[in-house]
Amino acid sequence: MAVQGIWSGTISFSLVAIPVRLVTAVEPGRVSFHLLHSRDYSRLARRMFCPEEKAMVPPDEIIRGYEIMPDKYVLMTDEELESVSPDRSRTIEIIEFIDLGEVDPIYYDHPYYLISSKGGEKAYQLLVEVMRRTNKAGLAKFVLAEREYLVAVTSRDGALTLITLHYSDEIVPDGDISPKKGTIEAEEEGRIRKSIELMTEDFNPGKYADKRRKKLMDLLATKVKEKAPVVSPAAVEEEGEGPADLVAALEESMRKVKESK
Amino acid sequence: MAGATIWKGSIHFGETDVPVKLHSAVREERIQFHLIHKQDRVRLRQQMICALEKQPVPADEQSKGFEVEDGKYIIIDPEELERTAPEGSRMIEVHEFVKSDQLDPVLLDRVYYLEPDLTNVQGNGYNALAKALKEMDVEGICSWTMRKRSYLGALQAWGGMLRLNTLRYADEVVPAASLGLHNVVLSEKEMTIGSELIDKLTAPFEPRKFENEHEKKLRDMIEKKARGENIAILSPKRLQPTDPGQLLQALEASLKKAA
Repeated sequence: MAVQGIWSGTISFSLVAIPVRLVTAVEPGRVSFHLLHSRDYSRLARRMFCPEEKAMVPPDEIIRGYEIMPDKYVLMTDEELESVSPDRSRTIEIIEFIDLGEVDPIYYDHPYYLISSKGGEKAYQLLVEVMRRTNKAGLAKFVLAEREYLVAVTSRDGALTLITLHYSDEIVPDGDISPKKGTIEAEEEGRIRKSIELMTEDFNPGKYADKRRKKLMDLLATKVKEKAPVVSPAAVEEEGEGPADLVAALEESMRKVKESK
Repeated sequence: MAGATIWKGSIHFGETDVPVKLHSAVREERIQFHLIHKQDRVRLRQQMICALEKQPVPADEQSKGFEVEDGKYIIIDPEELERTAPEGSRMIEVHEFVKSDQLDPVLLDRVYYLEPDLTNVQGNGYNALAKALKEMDVEGICSWTMRKRSYLGALQAWGGMLRLNTLRYADEVVPAASLGLHNVVLSEKEMTIGSELIDKLTAPFEPRKFENEHEKKLRDMIEKKARGENIAILSPKRLQPTDPGQLLQALEASLKKAA
């Protein structure tokens, strides 16, 4: 199965290098709606649009720009961006391994999967297996488009996940809001502990997802009885109209994730 | 210093109620690029384009549809969605407690600090709860409604402090089984040497060690370009993938190097 990658390169630890592709590990609306045009029910697609020419812009006419003053941009090609940190733009070099249990969850940002490319399957699986057995994660830095990410590479269900981490200077100090020392009443603490004991279960995250899905399905079931579904006209797929820019599309999807919360 | 209070609520389970105030725990200040049209240097905007008319569609002409079968949709009005939205509440309801190590990192989203809300409170439930969670090594799976949206989260203790870690729903995670990975047989020797190597390369997690070195270099490059200077194009470092037949040798050489 061909999964479209956001990025391709190699991941390495010591003298072992594995060719990989990066794909997203979360899709905000796995039970989701599509946006349709109210007038003709045809599907809407997110595209980059030039407000000046009032036209869609194909990927090869798009470039990244940094705004140095209002409406004035310094343009940077992909090659120039890759030249900023050339040793990190196509390689994820694991600097060291850590015990996954030591990572404060506050650092976790966004999860991806790494998929092995041709020829890398064996070393890939070795890294997956060894990190699973030892419950370790590899720390690395790598550059995607204009950003450098600190990442933790871990093993999950037979695959390598890559989780971007926040840099420590992005963590807000909590000194001024942390609670004052105070006496804890033994009776109150005992009551809390007892409730916790009674309410401790094995975690099954699927049940919360099911609940959410059920609500949506109930709504849809009612709607189906009320009214027949609308038929969307089949649109002709045009060549070269894929996502305008994979990284931009990705950032957009991440923005959507944040907004949908 | 921590930022302003985002929301106020009360943690609830059994007979326990602990009023708290939420604060953001992460502040991102990252360099921001825009997508520009090469030809006219105009900043591009994302637009929803009608697949049929190939024209942008304004927000008031967009409908939400659920695909029941190929090309057939049930249209849902905003009012209908609104009706399924959770009712406003100030309660952070804890449904169950789970061992901290059962939380898959892939599900963990954003952390908020919880400050004790001492406005009208008796006792010291906050500190007692933080102590119990920490000593019992559990987190409370909870839900709450904030800004008209419902959140799923894990109530956790870190230091003496309570925090809420928002969780992604399990059905938002792409299953690893769908990635089409191949199973390869590994020898026990490869596994043993691989494990030894990783042990040798293990260090304590010290996030402060890592700085974003790239950002300064990037800013320098932008300034250079703004002054009209030429940028040297460096080709990215690409590593030669390890030949599968040479994996054991590469592991052994790595182990020797790490020793």
